[in-house]
Amino acid sequence: MNGARCMMVAALAAVFATALAGCGQTRPAPGVQGDPERGMLALTQHACHSCHIVPGLAGSKVYVGRPLDDLAERRYIAGKVPNTQDNLVRWIMDPQAIDPGNAMPAMGVSERDAIDISAYLLSQ
Amino acid sequence: MALTLLGAGSIAAIIGFIVFRAGLYNIAANDQHYPLIYTVFEEGLQYSIQNHAEDIQVPALGAPAQLLRGAAVYSANCVQCHGAPGIAPLSQGMSMQPIPGPLVDADVNWETRELYWITRNGIKMSGMPAWEYHLSDSDIWAVVAFVAAMPGMTPADYRRMTTQQHLTEPAQAAARTAAEGEDS
Repeated sequence: MNGARCMMVAALAAVFATALAGCGQTRPAPGVQGDPERGMLALTQHACHSCHIVPGLAGSKVYVGRPLDDLAERRYIAGKVPNTQDNLVRWIMDPQAIDPGNAMPAMGVSERDAIDISAYLLSQ
Repeated sequence: MALTLLGAGSIAAIIGFIVFRAGLYNIAANDQHYPLIYTVFEEGLQYSIQNHAEDIQVPALGAPAQLLRGAAVYSANCVQCHGAPGIAPLSQGMSMQPIPGPLVDADVNWETRELYWITRNGIKMSGMPAWEYHLSDSDIWAVVAFVAAMPGMTPADYRRMTTQQHLTEPAQAAARTAAEGEDS
């Protein structure tokens, strides 16, 4: 690829990225541990968005689980435990341990992934 | 005017070719679609299925024996990617793109005849296989009847059904409603 073509491609790529990128917040909110940007990727790899509408992520209008756009504001998780980051991490890793019989299954999320996913959700 | 249109068309074609030939679009399954592209694919898929499933006649569904058969077919072939109430899909299903949706809300998105069409014919480039040559027609209808009954199921109902026990009344009622909705 010659220099001129390379520059043109780069410019085009920049225009496309700016015009089409999602608006998910990837900087952690104050007091939140973990890496929100990695969390956004991790949550797609554990199928969170198959049941939940996730802010900043292209997906279907699905209402099997509740939309996750207001996690930072919510007081309780599943109406069972206070919505702290620690509890959210526990919930993501093993919902059944907090609310037995809940329709949300454990998705095999590691602690590191759960921390990053919670960081993303709490930073929206 | 014609010249302007021709010029605009040529520029669009050149940009398109550069994006195509330089491999700018990331084909990785862990790179999410842009919202606009996702919407175009999803709506196109819905229109296509509505169109192709239009003439399918739905038989009476939801007899207890059929639901039990459907539960067996579902747990043998579907839960691996789609999950079920209280059951996670396998990791193969979790990290696919597009993500195989849960089916507890299938009745919201699809008519029963469309569920049959999707199951029988599959969906191109989505990972959804065509089951026509792998399941009998009566098994396809059985699993469709079971999926239609899923909105009324608790995780415990699903476990009972797939371990060959009887379905509770709300799940049976959901199956009957699905069958009746098609008749009217």
